[in-house]
Amino acid sequence: MAYVEVKAKTIDLAIEAAMRELGITDRSRLEIEVIQEPERGFLGFGGRDAIVKVSEKKPGRKRSRTRKKKRGSRQAEPAKAAKSSSRPSRQAEGKAKNMRSDAGNEAPRAEEPQEQTSNSTDPRKELSPAEQEPLVKEFLEGLLEAIGLEGRVETHMDDDVIVANVIGEQTEALVGPRGSVMEAVHELTKTVLQRATQEPARVRIDIAGYAERRRQALTIYAGELIQQVLEEGGELMLEPMSAADRKVIHDVVAQHEGVRSYSEGEAPARYVVIAKVEEAEATAEPEGGEGEADVETESAADAAAEDGFSAESPAGDPES
Amino acid sequence: MPKGEIVERVVKYVVKEIVDNPDAVDVTIIEQGPDEVLAEVRTAKGDMGRVIGRRGRVARAIRTVASAAADEEGVTAQVEFVD
Repeated sequence: MAYVEVKAKTIDLAIEAAMRELGITDRSRLEIEVIQEPERGFLGFGGRDAIVKVSEKKPGRKRSRTRKKKRGSRQAEPAKAAKSSSRPSRQAEGKAKNMRSDAGNEAPRAEEPQEQTSNSTDPRKELSPAEQEPLVKEFLEGLLEAIGLEGRVETHMDDDVIVANVIGEQTEALVGPRGSVMEAVHELTKTVLQRATQEPARVRIDIAGYAERRRQALTIYAGELIQQVLEEGGELMLEPMSAADRKVIHDVVAQHEGVRSYSEGEAPARYVVIAKVEEAEATAEPEGGEGEADVETESAADAAAEDGFSAESPAGDPES
Repeated sequence: MPKGEIVERVVKYVVKEIVDNPDAVDVTIIEQGPDEVLAEVRTAKGDMGRVIGRRGRVARAIRTVASAAADEEGVTAQVEFVD
């Protein structure tokens, strides 16, 4: 089930932000869990933000009690909990991936504030993902023309994901340092779809082959780090990365036995940790219960962290 | 070619693509220095929220793309969203 966790000055503000993130306009459809009550600081110091976990109510589905408990303890000591030995194993990790892609479908649709109150008069059309494909192509072609770059745009559907390739030597200008301009183009493309339709499709963009080259480089890099962890044991903290890059690392780690990965910290300083799965851990597979709940928390937080960029990253789907 | 022309064209294009009322979009280029331009963006009232986006994400993306456009004409660009 998709959910978001939001930190804000007050509980109300946090809920509002979460509703925007989930694209839910009707408060009665929300399941709200207060993780942390806000506290006023003294003279503006030492205050504590409210943290709420919000998801859409699923009729007839009971919530897991263990998850709530687990989440609470994790919040109190995130670093410790993240490293605790009850961490999920491979099996649970696979599950988490599915969760993450679910979250990608439901969670990160950003609704603009002014649309929340006008749900019934929403002028936007209902368009299937395939019907949105030409919108993406046209927008990117128009962008190339406006900036005066020679190039062309090819789009196709990968299941329900619109894949757009911007091709041409000059289009390198739209990649930018470490792909920053490409990320901005991705953000704007998503915004165009949000204006056009109530259910924007996920979009994957590559410009001048950058995302593919980056993915390959990261895959090699991750492979080397995994070897190192397998040989030396313990954990390796990587440098902070974008959600798209983190996902590439997670995907590579998931393909290797004996190691696992998770993310820590807050964007833009969020980073991946690769850890060796210790013997005891590997044999004591958590069944259902807390371990899974914990990893779901982790990955959903990751997915929600940057507007679900990980789920829509240029680097590919969790399944691939 | 007047300075900031590409910046103006790109910012105008992007903003018009994401608002409900494209006709009300206005982008004014102001020269700030020999190689520096400022793009002032105005929209219909209800549209500014979308142009700025949640936590300013869309505004940030517009600024980034405007900088890439500015590179193409050898200037730097700032973008201001005027309410």
